[in-house]
Amino acid sequence: MAVEMRLPVARKPLSESVGRDTKKHLVVPGDTITTDTGFMRGHGTYMGEEKLIASVAGSVERVNKLICVKALKTRYNGEVGDIVVGRITEVQQKRWKVETNSRLDSVLLLSSMNLPGGELRRRSAEDELAMRGFLQEGDLISAEVQAVFSDGAVSLHTRSLKYGKLGQGVLVQVSPSLVKRQKTHFHDLPCGASVILGNNGFIWIYPTPEHKEEDAGGFTANLEPVSLADREVISRLRNCIVSLVTQRMMLYDTSILYCYEASLPHQIKDLLKPEIMEEVVMETRQRLLEQEG
Amino acid sequence: MKETPLSNCERRFLLRAIEEKKRLDGRQTYDYRNIKISFGTDYGCCIVELGKTRVLGQVSCELVSPKLNRATEGILFFNLELSQMAAPAFEPGRQSDLLVKLNRLLERCLRNSKCIDTESLCVVAGEKVWQIRVDLHLLNHDGNIIDAASIAAIVALCHFRRPDVSVQGDEVTLYTPEERDPVPLSIHHMPICVSFAFFQQGTYLLVDPNEREERVMDGLLVIAMNKHREICTIQSSGGIMLLKDQVLRCSKIAGVKVLEITELIQKALENDQKVRKEGGKFGFAESIASQRITAFKMEKAPIDTSDVEEKAEEIIAEAEPPSEVVSNPVLWTPGTAQIGEGIENSWGDLEDSEKEEEDEDGTDEAIILDSLKMDTGVEVSNIGSQDAPIVLSDSEEEEMIILEPDKNPKKIRTQTISAKQEKAPSKKPVKKRKKKRAAN
Repeated sequence: MAVEMRLPVARKPLSESVGRDTKKHLVVPGDTITTDTGFMRGHGTYMGEEKLIASVAGSVERVNKLICVKALKTRYNGEVGDIVVGRITEVQQKRWKVETNSRLDSVLLLSSMNLPGGELRRRSAEDELAMRGFLQEGDLISAEVQAVFSDGAVSLHTRSLKYGKLGQGVLVQVSPSLVKRQKTHFHDLPCGASVILGNNGFIWIYPTPEHKEEDAGGFTANLEPVSLADREVISRLRNCIVSLVTQRMMLYDTSILYCYEASLPHQIKDLLKPEIMEEVVMETRQRLLEQEG
Repeated sequence: MKETPLSNCERRFLLRAIEEKKRLDGRQTYDYRNIKISFGTDYGCCIVELGKTRVLGQVSCELVSPKLNRATEGILFFNLELSQMAAPAFEPGRQSDLLVKLNRLLERCLRNSKCIDTESLCVVAGEKVWQIRVDLHLLNHDGNIIDAASIAAIVALCHFRRPDVSVQGDEVTLYTPEERDPVPLSIHHMPICVSFAFFQQGTYLLVDPNEREERVMDGLLVIAMNKHREICTIQSSGGIMLLKDQVLRCSKIAGVKVLEITELIQKALENDQKVRKEGGKFGFAESIASQRITAFKMEKAPIDTSDVEEKAEEIIAEAEPPSEVVSNPVLWTPGTAQIGEGIENSWGDLEDSEKEEEDEDGTDEAIILDSLKMDTGVEVSNIGSQDAPIVLSDSEEEEMIILEPDKNPKKIRTQTISAKQEKAPSKKPVKKRKKKRAAN
């Protein structure tokens, strides 16, 4: 068995040649954003000594008169309508507590959950007792944000057949700021796997089901063994996503797909080496630029 | 911050591995992780590392009035703190359960076992006694806090020296460390806790669980023992049902482990004592290895190249004439040449080629040393060759060889030694090696 060893080397800074026309205005906590007092202060800023000062490390965004700082590395802050992938941590009386990489655990109320068979009825006491039959501690679910409480906690719902308990697949945890906001976050990639890009930074890669089950409602987990070809595709996708993340690229279906195609000449395990990562991501970046331009 | 929950996959994986007698870090079921003990500059200060779990122990003393119902005994005070840097889940308000449990266990282990002679801490009965305070801080949590903490506590207590006191009638004199050497505490024995983690309702057991194993365990059995095989404390938590022979077996294992650990502690204390007596450097700064390959920074090693010239000349002087495998540079057109083809080939004059091979050797040495220096753009002229070097422009052209057919070719190379290009692809390195062998 061959073992590869590397000595510690100084990390190279990410290349500046990202091809961005507008340079982002990056600040760190304590930096002055502007001394002009005509602006309203948004999230991530505070007023101190006649100046607007940043309180988080991130990029400055300006909308007319509102200045806010969007943090680069942060916990997930819920917005209504986001798709999230979360893990059940507790089963409580009429709800489940879901861990979504945010400051507070999210809640999934029993009344926001689809009953099997898609029935619409009032939840009874039997349903409460059978909660553990639906979702247990440690299960992964995909859901949508229904509401955000005043303290920042997020309330989820799975009121559609495409949400629900997730079966076999691979979870990749990335920073929430790297997932691009798009129309849909459920993608069936042509390479043979499907991916759910949760806005909270949890990305779920799973084998594409052959036929869409309409009546399951996302409760029955398919436990049949996954074929080797599918597993290879999923592993490659996972390594591609990890390389994109290390180079701080935004994640969306096109970038992941391009990265996958760029990585095909390499072996799956080679994708974890820093040089190959750089090479693949550079190629992806090129293709994306060409596509835009 | 809340602890990230363990995924079902990971839980199942750990349990299956344990069923097959495999541990994630490759240890056997009864193996302890590496224990490293380092001392600080003050007496009574030590850091114990059990694998990646780190505990800092500090002992201090003070003269106070004794408790009313124990007028002739000193006071012992133990305190374990879970620092926020130990794990993200430790927050100022959130650790109560675990903290209380660990503190109680530590107290029972050290206080109730009477390992420290409290009578010897009395100075004036009823008025002044020593209060010994042991503070333990958990610096990193990677499982099995209680073992590391108990080792740190007992090591710190053994290492500690209290100021000397003399009582003459009614007069009590407290000597400073400068006047009289401080005195060690009187310690009868060294109780050490050994933890056993149980899985699958007591079917499998592991010694010294690390953090992952602790998360999936069913129950924990802690046995505190000293090297004389006396049990000081025993505690079972987690609500698992243990059979009598399981507990007996664990106590036997604990006996063996405690012996090993006690030896280690004695050795560490002796070492530190020796270093202090000999006047060597001691303290935490000395215990950090800075010469290891995994240290943060490797300083550039300066290489002395002042004697390169002499060395090269020596080699050339001692070199035997190369074997008949010679190759001359082939002049294609004025200004471009081909050197070597890899095949045995003698073109032109033997003498000329010999001289030029030796020159090459010299330059070889110099080139290699140069690349070590990591100095780009340095031009190396023929060392050993007698003419003044012709320095060509700093162009990045690889290896320019200017040949004068009747004189020795002067080879000037820039730092980018890529194998000579279109003319002799990849022949150069082969040739170099061959010549080296010939020269040796």
